[in-house]
Amino acid sequence: MGWNRVAVAGAGLIKFGELFEQSYEQMAAGAFQAAVANVDRGVEPEQIDGVFVATQRGTLWGQEGIGGNTVPSAIGLAGVPCTRIENACPSGSDAFRVGAMAVASGVHDVVLVIGVEKMRDKSTDEGLLSRAAAGHPILTRGETAPVLFAPFATRHMNDFGTTREMLASVAVKNHFNGARDPYAHFQNEITVENVLDSPPVCHPLHLLDCCPQTDGAAATILVNADRATEFTDKPVYVAGFGVATDHPYLHEKQSFTGLKATAIASERAYRMAGVDPSQIDSAEVHDCFTITEILDVEDLGFFDKGKGGIASLEGETSLTGRIPINTSGGLLAKGHPIGATGVAQLTECWWQLRGEAGERQVEMRNGYALQHNVGGRGSGVSVVNILTTNR
Amino acid sequence: MTSPVRVLAVGAAAPARRLSATDVAAAWGRGGGRGQVGVCAPDEDVLTLAAEAASRAMAASGLENDIVDGLWWGTTRPPFAEGPSHAVLASALGLSAHSGGALFSGSPHAGMDALLGAYDAIAAGSAQVALVVAADALVPGPGTTFEERAGGGAAAAVLVSEGGHASLPARVTRTHPFLDRYRSEADAGTRDLYDARLFREEIFLPIVQEVGEQLAALEIDEWSLPDPDGRLGATAARKLGGGAPASANVYAAIGDTGAAAPLLGALGSLDAARTVAVVGFGGGRATGIVINADGPVRGAATVGDAWAGGQSISYAEALRARGQLEATGVPIPMGVPPESALFVRGAEEMLGLLGARCVDCGTINTPPTIHPYCISCGSTKFVLVSLARRGVVHTFVVNHTMPPPFEAPLPLAVIDLADGARVMLQVIGDGSDMRIGVEVELVLRRYAFERGVPVYGFKARTIADATAKSSEE
Repeated sequence: MGWNRVAVAGAGLIKFGELFEQSYEQMAAGAFQAAVANVDRGVEPEQIDGVFVATQRGTLWGQEGIGGNTVPSAIGLAGVPCTRIENACPSGSDAFRVGAMAVASGVHDVVLVIGVEKMRDKSTDEGLLSRAAAGHPILTRGETAPVLFAPFATRHMNDFGTTREMLASVAVKNHFNGARDPYAHFQNEITVENVLDSPPVCHPLHLLDCCPQTDGAAATILVNADRATEFTDKPVYVAGFGVATDHPYLHEKQSFTGLKATAIASERAYRMAGVDPSQIDSAEVHDCFTITEILDVEDLGFFDKGKGGIASLEGETSLTGRIPINTSGGLLAKGHPIGATGVAQLTECWWQLRGEAGERQVEMRNGYALQHNVGGRGSGVSVVNILTTNR
Repeated sequence: MTSPVRVLAVGAAAPARRLSATDVAAAWGRGGGRGQVGVCAPDEDVLTLAAEAASRAMAASGLENDIVDGLWWGTTRPPFAEGPSHAVLASALGLSAHSGGALFSGSPHAGMDALLGAYDAIAAGSAQVALVVAADALVPGPGTTFEERAGGGAAAAVLVSEGGHASLPARVTRTHPFLDRYRSEADAGTRDLYDARLFREEIFLPIVQEVGEQLAALEIDEWSLPDPDGRLGATAARKLGGGAPASANVYAAIGDTGAAAPLLGALGSLDAARTVAVVGFGGGRATGIVINADGPVRGAATVGDAWAGGQSISYAEALRARGQLEATGVPIPMGVPPESALFVRGAEEMLGLLGARCVDCGTINTPPTIHPYCISCGSTKFVLVSLARRGVVHTFVVNHTMPPPFEAPLPLAVIDLADGARVMLQVIGDGSDMRIGVEVELVLRRYAFERGVPVYGFKARTIADATAKSSEE
């Protein structure tokens, strides 16, 4: 059952936040050191023969091409092959998938997958919000990130009776979890009222419905499954993955109550892993906005379409719920340094599967954890990875 | 009274915002101030006003836009000081790529020039259908008394060689090379009159009276007269032996609309059999034209709707909208420069609102240049179609968080058009009228003023219940 040709030997991340004091290179080094330190039986840097780096944005002003040739030098591995993966918000999870395929192919023995992102070196206006003026001059004019998801909230609320309180319950839960994650950007609990009373950002989403702008880096070390025990006492395997694309503009969507790319990507991942949604013990899903998590848990098959909001409100996705979602705090509380996000989610899955998630540890009955990202123009790409302790 | 030129239909447009003259006076430490003026919203300008008036006139005419032989457009200030103003408007109106016409500018007299130019083309037989637009969105110099009077608006008329309910039996022009309101290359805004008494006694009244008296030979029922200061229009009317001119209500609602003023002041009177005298003035010239309606001209009965209502704004908002008050710092540049290849490839599909209809499954793909394959069935066979201009909101957002030059709140909506196409567009207004299922129409607006270049595209506007009902009737 499952693919299981590759194992995660180590994973780690740096504390997420507004890391004005750290360079892109210093963040990368921190994540690399954290992942190496978490390899039970150790890994020597010279054993690493391939690096896949996920960086979505230019790390210096206007220098979009940086990353692929910067990271090996920054982590003391100059000379090692390195390829940059850019695939919008799923960049990190896609780099992980590509890294796993590189190991499974036999071309590489030990691969480092590292996600690094500087979100805060540019001002909010020149950085995150500048996309209002990017892209097509008419089609996408005014389209900041929440514009990609808020129309789904409007329609989900209209069609299924989803309420702002239900949306808010996602943020409340993820902040609760983030307060128990030492790596999270935000480590404070919030209330439904805090979310409802926060300023409007993009109707119907308010400030606390949105993830923050966060700098961060995360890394995983992948080895051939047959060699897993050379490196680790508690192997975690790559059970399966799936990627899907969708039309890139919002007006090309047939439905505004779900994200098609997520549904297709997860179907592929479940099939490859030989599991169904009911066997997943915990999941790190893409909650860039509260509505996104509600769409995700439906599109991933955890809840029927239209039931994601009420499920969240009733605690079914909490640490003790039927299917704990975003135990790390998610993008909403842990943060969303784009290239690092997927790799950090996979690190949380790795900890949950190994029973190392501390006070946010959930019960892993079946030994499966799922990681998911969705993003890009019109949420046109989604990646799902499934990890397992079963082989 | 006959002429070789007939008026088939008319239309008008006015900006959405109103600025009180009292607020302008108070901003400069003056008391008083009478009336109000129309001011463009940040996404309106002289071209969008012209497009709206022309679209209304064309809709009233019942003609297809692509049979128009030419566009004769008069405006004091074309939106591109040196550039494709005429071509952009013609394209946005869906006129034929082979249509002719001319752009007249340089003074408020340009509106009369456009009317005379179209008249001559029809009379000469070089055009059978001529679209005339007179439009202005004046930009007065801050601190001038003209600021209390300078408004905006547009008037349009469809002229034909036969048919229609009005003719143009008489015209007269008087030139006198003086300076009145003036703007040099170095001025952003228009200057005041040098001496109001000099202007009144030696320039305005003698010339307007002379032109008017020649027209008065034809038993005039209504007058449209220039009114540069809020008094001279009434004074001129008295000297011509009439009461308040028909144009007075337009000046009261939206101020001095420059090149648009003469026609705007006359169109409403064409809703019944009447003889209307129109006098236009500016740039050292005055021209008078008589329009003789033998019955209601199409569109005339509703032109007044264009300047009814309006939303009050502050003096500071007016300055911002006119580009006279700008935030410190550099606004976020548009990712695609307006002179670049995407605008060349996309000019027709953006201004003409085109879609690619799949020959195999009927799905309309928009915009065509980014869809080599149908999003529904994968076919590569398409026909270009002009998209429907009405639709229903499927879902929407209201964006409150954007950097300059954007102004929040900005609604954006996914719209299902009447022809089955789905589009996503910005929506006019603050979003308070947005809900799923609301009916919208698409109108031309200025999406950006980028590196000194206006960028135009279509936006959605909710159709008020009353308007929706009247259009169904």
